[in-house]
This record gives sequence, structure tokens and C-alpha cells, in this order.
Amino acid sequence: MKWRKQSTRTSTDLLKNPANGGNKRVMDGVAGSGKGAAILFTLFCAAGILILGIGIGSVYVTPGTILGIAGNRFLGFGLPAGIDDITVSLVWKLRFPRVLMAFIVGAGLGASGTVMQSVLRNPLASSYTLGVSAGAALGAGVMMITGFTIPFLGRLSLPLVGLLSGLLTVFLAVSFAARMDRSMSNNTIILAGMVFSLFINAILTLVSAMSRDQMQQLIFWQMGSFSLKDWTQVSMLATITVAGLLVLFRFNRELDMIVFGEEQARAMGVDLKRVKWILLGVSAALTGSAVAFSGIIGFIDLIAPHVTRKVFGSSHRYVIPMSALFGGAFMVLADLAARTILSPIELPVGAVTAFIGAPFFAWVYFGRNRKGGA
Amino acid sequence: METEAKPGLPIDTAKSGLPVNETKHSRLADAAKPGHLLEVEAVSCGYGGEDIVRQVSFFVQGHENLCLLGPNGCGKTTLLRAICGLLPLTGGRVRLEGTDITRMKRRDIARSIAMMSQLTTVQFSYTVRETVMLGRYVRLKGGMFDAPAREDHRKVMECLDAVEMADLSERPIDSLSGGQLQRVFLARTLAQEPRIILLDEPTNHLDLRHQIELVDHLVKWSEADGRCIIGVLHDIGLAARLADRLLLMRNGEIVADGGMRDVLDGGLLNQVYGLDVKAYMRQMLQIWE
Repeated sequence: MKWRKQSTRTSTDLLKNPANGGNKRVMDGVAGSGKGAAILFTLFCAAGILILGIGIGSVYVTPGTILGIAGNRFLGFGLPAGIDDITVSLVWKLRFPRVLMAFIVGAGLGASGTVMQSVLRNPLASSYTLGVSAGAALGAGVMMITGFTIPFLGRLSLPLVGLLSGLLTVFLAVSFAARMDRSMSNNTIILAGMVFSLFINAILTLVSAMSRDQMQQLIFWQMGSFSLKDWTQVSMLATITVAGLLVLFRFNRELDMIVFGEEQARAMGVDLKRVKWILLGVSAALTGSAVAFSGIIGFIDLIAPHVTRKVFGSSHRYVIPMSALFGGAFMVLADLAARTILSPIELPVGAVTAFIGAPFFAWVYFGRNRKGGA
Repeated sequence: METEAKPGLPIDTAKSGLPVNETKHSRLADAAKPGHLLEVEAVSCGYGGEDIVRQVSFFVQGHENLCLLGPNGCGKTTLLRAICGLLPLTGGRVRLEGTDITRMKRRDIARSIAMMSQLTTVQFSYTVRETVMLGRYVRLKGGMFDAPAREDHRKVMECLDAVEMADLSERPIDSLSGGQLQRVFLARTLAQEPRIILLDEPTNHLDLRHQIELVDHLVKWSEADGRCIIGVLHDIGLAARLADRLLLMRNGEIVADGGMRDVLDGGLLNQVYGLDVKAYMRQMLQIWE
């Protein structure tokens, strides 16, 4: 560049501090290779947790057997000798869908939590604050009470209605915010979300108080569970989640810029309003579909982003996939705990995530030296 | 437009005398009129229905640096936001090389106009390189995931080099000092490859040495043809160091537009600030005399 080449001795040269030249390259390279190792480690752990989750239960299944069955079903390899039909059926029909479901739900919640926190620039924001859970719960509640099902969809009507009513709530909340405040500021959005959430929760309480027969069913649904999931549900949710994650990842640069400040992001060329709508919508859809299939499970969307940022830095190129991975693995563990600790009684997984998650979060966030994690 | 370097920029005048440059402005006066880089025409804008900036007009050539001076609340920052389309106008028009910017997409505006703001604390850890790469956003070729090309990486390093931060490219930005951080943000602004850089008090929170350093980096950048800086700086000394032309504002209007000597004329300045600026400066200098 021309202006670099000019050799006039400027005052900048005069000001140059010799001390600047000192410990420069110390950090060079460390960050890069450390990140790669951490990613590999996380992948390895996540795979280990998946296999563990499938293996442990009323009957223990060895990792070898699980891999054999997975190879047979997914890749069409011959089934290794010595695996009986009952094990195959247990692993393939019960454990696999359940554990995968937990993983996908956790991944969706983790990534959408990350994006909500970044877009709204608030470390406590999540899809739940914007009313996804309240909306979904009301939709599901109405379905349960009326016993209504959509023709041809059967059992899938409940998740679908849950998803749509959750999304509708967020849409209403954000539109309301946009109407009240043209610039769609984050505080307005969050407050509007809370207003809608609280209002809808009140309706839900009224509705369920008036129909006591379905109250218990509704409460159990809200507490969240991964039992009795089949491959149809898994593949449906997987499709939605993978698509959603790809869209979120597509906007990783915009998210990085928004983190630095909305005004700066716009000055750097981000069409803020459009990007905000897309990101809020897609995150809400991710959470909404997770809630719809498995009930309201909190905490993952809060801790996954924080823990991931501690380890991988703030760049969304890493934080989005890694918070999904972390959320998924964490959810599998939580579900494992929920169904084994007091077996055969199954604990609500939503309680378990907070039960394990709260101390873990405190340890990661407050316990360790801040420098080491960053 | 001619390519000659800006004459008499006060880069080395810290010891040699007044950092004032008039030759440039007189040269501009007889420059050919067509081909204004930026035209601000009777612009009014503000917040919540009240106009903060009223009927402001000025034209900018591709080779002059402007500084907006004026007391707090006189509309300098508001005007800057309007110029790069961040704030809707209630009247008038801003044209960038002849095109009305309200008709331009954000992306296209950002290819020409970059904005550098005052230093804010960062609590998130991006590396220096990642931060500067964000400035390449409008230059990325597109594609599904907008991966930066080799050219972008080269450009990022070039910009880091220009602000003497290349050696720290892998450092997390939350470990940098204020002066270093602001240089990173300058590199990010340069990486955008704009033709116009708007400055919104970027020297705030920096110590004197880092203020001068930052301004000198900017002056250096602006030496190439077709580039200009429009800055809001509170420090008159820094403004004189950066700009060839000063716009003095009061209550949302421009009250003086011209070279250093014209605008810094004691009377007008005192009127606008409600303070005897010259006496204050003299008092300051007496310490060394």
C-alpha cells in the first residue's frame, strides 16, 4: 500500500516504544493448535457419551455391540456374530432413538441459546425469555384438553402444534417490540417477550386449572422426557435441527459483528433488521421444535454458550457448532442420570439438567481462573 | 484527481511550530468542482421527531480531511450517523459519488464508508486477526459460508502491519491495552477498504501518546488519492493535526467552514464554546515558558 511505503520519519516512528518489541510471539500459534486439540477432545467425548448413553440401562450393552449394531443399521455392514435379536431390538428400537433424541434436542437448545444471547447481547437471554416455551405449552395444553389431533398426523400433531404456537408467540412478541420501538432494540424485545410469556403462562394456568383431568399429563409433558421416542420423531427433529444449525452457522460473521455492537455491525455492512429477524426466528424454531418433541427443558440453553465461550473463545464459527455439541452431550448425560439414578423411577430430565448443570456451571464460570478458560 | 501527497501535514511539527496547514485548503478552493466524493445537502435529522442537525450542507473532495468541531450536543455525531445512513434523514440528501445513499444497500454503503467509534471495553475473546477479519465482511466474495479467501487474509495482515500490530495477530483482544485495542479497531476499519472514514471521537479514553499515534496512522492512510476522513474530535490540537478543513458547529448548524486559521479564529471559537479558548491554550503553554 502506498501510504505504508512512504519512508518519511513520522512522529509515529518517534513515538515507537521499544518495549513493544518484547514478548510478542509468546501467544502466537498457541491459540490455534490449542483450539484444534480442544475440538477433537470435545468430539471424542461427545461420541463416548453417546455410546455410554446407549449402553447403560436396565441391561448393559458393550460399546462393541453398539458399534456393531450401528454399523449394521446405518452402513449396512453384516451384524457381528454373538449379538442376539433382543439386544438388537433393545438398542435399535429403544435406546438409540431415545439417546439421539436427547442429543438433538440438547444440540438445538445449546446453539439457539448461543445465538439468542449474542443477537440480544444479553447473557441471560434465551428463546424461553421470548415466550417459546409458554406458547408451546399453551398450544400443547389446548391439544391435550380438547383431545384434538390433526388428520393424518396422529401423534405428531402435538409436537407440530407446540412448535407453531411457540413460534407464533415469538413472532407476536418481536412484532410487538418492532411496533413499539422502530429500532427493535434488545431491551424492548426482551421485555416484550417477557410480557407475552407471563400473559400466556397465566392463560395456561387458568386453562389447566379448569380441566383437572389433563393437568397431570400437562405437567409431565412440561417437565420434559425422552421416553418412548421412535425413529420417525428422531428423523423429523433431526431434519429441522440440522437445517436450523446450518442457517445459524451461515450467519456466524454477522453474529460476531453484532457482539461488538449493533451500530458498528451496521456500519460494517450488516443489514441488521433482516439478520435479527432471521436469527431470532430460526433460534426460536430450534427451541420450539425441541420443546415440542420433548417438553420444556431449561438450563442447557443458558450454560452451553457460556461454557463453550470459555473454552473456544467468542468466535461464532466455533461457538455455534461447539455449543451444539456440548448441549447434545450434556443432555444425553442428563437423560442418563434421569433414568438410572432412581431406576426404575424416571426423574424429569428438566430437573436433572439444572441439578447437574447449576453446580457445573458455577464451577466453570466462577471456579477456574478466568485467564485459563479464555 | 492528482496524486500528490498532502503537503505540509503537521506530522513532524510537534517540535517545529504550529500544527496548522493552510496551503492545502487554498489549493482546494481552486480545484475543479465536479466529482465530489460526498455531498451533504441541506441535511436535517434527529431523534424522536426533534431535529438535532438542521439544514447542514457541505461538499467533500476525495483528498481532504475534515474535522467537525463544536460543543457537546451540537449534532456532530448525529451528523456522522446520518452521513453513513445509520440515521434516517428528515430532510435533505446525502450523495456518495452522486448516488443518494438512501437508495443504497447497507453493504454498498459500507464498501465506501467506514466508521470508527470511541473505544469501548470488550469482554469477549476474539483474536486480533479474527477481529480485523470482521472488517472484510463487505469484501468477502459470498458463497454459502463466506469463507475468507487468501486475498482477505493477506489484506488483514497488511492492515495489521500498517498499525504495527502484526506481531500480536493471535492475541485475544481482551488481553490488549486500550491503545493497542483501538489500533486493532483501526485495522478493522482499514480492512473494509473504504474511501471515507468517519471518526466518532476514536481518541477518547486514550492517553496523549496513543491519541497522536492513532491520528497519525489515520493521516497516513488518507494520503493516498481519493480517500478522506471526516472526524469528530474534541481536542482542537488533534483536529488540527488530522484535518485540512474544519467545520465548526453550533446548535445543529454549521457556523464556520474553512481552513485552520479561518475557523480557529479566536472570536468565533470563543463564541461557540463560551470559553476563551486562546487564553486557555496560552495558559497551558506558559507552563513550559
